[in-house]
Amino acid sequence: MPRLHVGEYLDADLDTERWHCHECGHDFGPLRSDYKRGLLVAERDPREVHPPVLEGAYTFAPNGDWIRIVEFYCPGCGRQVETEYLPPGHPLTQDTALDVDAIMARLASGAVRIDEHGKLEATR
Amino acid sequence: MSHPTLEEKLAALKVSAPSAYERACADSLRPGDYEIGVQRTADILDEGYEIFMRSSRSSMGVAGDSIVAIFNAAGDLVNASAGTYLHAVIPPIVIKYILSRHSKNPGINDGDIWYTNDALYGGIHNPDQVAIMPVFFEGELVAWTAALSHTTETGAVEPGGMPLAATARFQEGMNLPPMRVGTDFQINTDVLEMFAAFGIRAEANVTVDMRARATTADRVRVRLLEMIAREGKDFVVGLMRRMLDEAEAGARKRIAHWPDGTYRTVTFSDAAGLAPGLIRNCAMTMIKKGDHLLFDFTGTSPETPSSYNAHPQAVIGHMANYIYEYVFHDLPVSSATFEPIDFVFPPNSILSPDARAATSCSVMAATGAMSAVANCISRARFGSDEWKQVAASQGNGGNAIVLAGVSQWGANFADMIAYPINTEGQGARATSDGMDAYGFPWCAFGRAPDVESMENEFPMLIPFSSHWKDSGGHGKHRGGVGTAQLWVTHHVPMLFQMAIADNSVIQTPQPLFGGYAPPTVPGIRLDGIDVAEAMASAKTGTLTLEALLRGEFGGTVVSGPYGSAVHPVPGGQSIIVGLSTGGTGYGDPLARDPASVAADVTKNLVSVHVARDIYGVAIDPVSGRVDDEATRASRESMIAARLERGRPYEEFEADWSQRKPPEEILEFFGSWPDGSVVTPLIRM
Repeated sequence: MPRLHVGEYLDADLDTERWHCHECGHDFGPLRSDYKRGLLVAERDPREVHPPVLEGAYTFAPNGDWIRIVEFYCPGCGRQVETEYLPPGHPLTQDTALDVDAIMARLASGAVRIDEHGKLEATR
Repeated sequence: MSHPTLEEKLAALKVSAPSAYERACADSLRPGDYEIGVQRTADILDEGYEIFMRSSRSSMGVAGDSIVAIFNAAGDLVNASAGTYLHAVIPPIVIKYILSRHSKNPGINDGDIWYTNDALYGGIHNPDQVAIMPVFFEGELVAWTAALSHTTETGAVEPGGMPLAATARFQEGMNLPPMRVGTDFQINTDVLEMFAAFGIRAEANVTVDMRARATTADRVRVRLLEMIAREGKDFVVGLMRRMLDEAEAGARKRIAHWPDGTYRTVTFSDAAGLAPGLIRNCAMTMIKKGDHLLFDFTGTSPETPSSYNAHPQAVIGHMANYIYEYVFHDLPVSSATFEPIDFVFPPNSILSPDARAATSCSVMAATGAMSAVANCISRARFGSDEWKQVAASQGNGGNAIVLAGVSQWGANFADMIAYPINTEGQGARATSDGMDAYGFPWCAFGRAPDVESMENEFPMLIPFSSHWKDSGGHGKHRGGVGTAQLWVTHHVPMLFQMAIADNSVIQTPQPLFGGYAPPTVPGIRLDGIDVAEAMASAKTGTLTLEALLRGEFGGTVVSGPYGSAVHPVPGGQSIIVGLSTGGTGYGDPLARDPASVAADVTKNLVSVHVARDIYGVAIDPVSGRVDDEATRASRESMIAARLERGRPYEEFEADWSQRKPPEEILEFFGSWPDGSVVTPLIRM
């Protein structure tokens, strides 16, 4: 069946139960695991993305002691798949954990199908 | 004391079971009755909404930050006109409380006007107040009507209704549990005087707004009775039940075909009132199974010793802002749309505090939930054929400037100025940018007043209000930019100002699919500047925020937190910079169409250096056109840099997990990193 397009740069292959990059097809790992584990990760000082405009502590840029920007890249094409603004050391977020069995059951029942854009649509 | 428990509040959000009579009435509707009937209720409510805006005195009411609603006899919301959907969820809690506690004493009678503003009993925060009227037909209770809006004075320890200094509900001024304030279609004068006394700083705002609510609720009541006289009681009773049925079915159908799964977002804020500190203001886990959603807030930081706390129904109200604007936009605003949704709130968290907690700034505490719900639902919804309606979170700043004093007309006033909060940028969308200066995330249909209206209303001069460059979150689709405004005391020697805000150290909303959040929002003041001279010397287009911050018009730039305690602002020599946050970004900025980046630069929405460093777009400084070859090379280089600095997840996490924020900012966080209560708060 077609891959399910679940994020701007994220596909779920329900047949092989693997995550893939929507841009280049790179394999991100098992579908029942966190797709972020298959990505490259880097930490940015928020001032690199939000340049300070003023002097002092309040500058339009987030304070780098409080928060960091964690960026997740596709190892295949370098696409920036996700970003998180997190305090240093804060657990990374598993933002999407598909209930593969429930989705497969609904597909099997015919209640939904995957359309030509890789999206779930109701059939009735 | 018998304020409703959390369990009672959550149960009251659920639709009551239909009686056999209601079911029979619903079943007897003829083809076309439902569609016509729904439109008639919408027309009645739209008329009420218009009357409400024209009758209100506070700027929030005038701007339309309000809601007018119809309920069935059991108190279930069947339709509303907004305004702000924030208020849509909560009245059923209040009406069902009145029905269960006060039916016998003092009784519920035709002509009653009921009223509350207490979040402990089902409200949002005490500036948000509701007038409720029962609708009797031939002696039988058949429906309820309500009008809700925000009045910017409650007689608290500080002006403006949202005291930053309050540490418990006892410092928040007027907090009224549901009570009868009028009989025989008249507001009782002794109660009106009590409102005037609590609102002595801005008596006209408080008493006129109260009358506006009652007037609006009564107009809707009269129109409903006219509908009953025309169509019959059975028709209206059946219509209301059918509207609940259809709304629930529509909500379930919508949820059902999103991919089943668990979706998570965490958000953070940087202050509890005026005290700086890191707070995980929302840890949201959304479990989507079939046609049901469960929102679990376990992991959210503990309640704070400030007014930055929100009772659970206020949190749900904030989520309703997003849900009705984006997800259920084509369904009736109805209790039934929340029928398939359940909630888990950890006790003693910032989203479920103790009864004594101050919650008058609940809107600041709930911004995390309002952002997180957009993120979680967008992730779930993107995998369905509704993906084009997915959007990144609004900025949800809500940074509010409060002014108080004596106006140029000699009247006492205390008001939250509506313009800054009604000009935030929209979150970027799956197929387009967020709208610039689109409005108020709490109230998509609110109106930013004209500058001339504000200058007429307040003793202020507003030299400019303009788009705020670089305030939109970067991304493949850019978050809408917010606005910057200058506020100068005018016509009077001085007035008092305070600001309710956070997001000056970090931003709360998380971006979506590789975009970035908007920048932080500092509090900026220009001191020692001759405003008249600056305006006289400026040529067209030169009096800009950038020029002022560069000192081109003199004065000293003072920056600090946007939130501030009450302080005097003298006339003519000081400028307050109002800033309305931008929306969050969507998708990888290196995937943005270079021509769109160049257009943003031309329109002064994005800086040349941001175009270069974030979007990798090279723009010819003379022609303003994109240099395609240089842009291609720049982007290839930036992608190579990502692959160079990026590390495998396990390797990154091994180092990352050893780190921790500075201890001095963790006072309000709870235990690290769990966010559990470490020391219970005791409020005397």
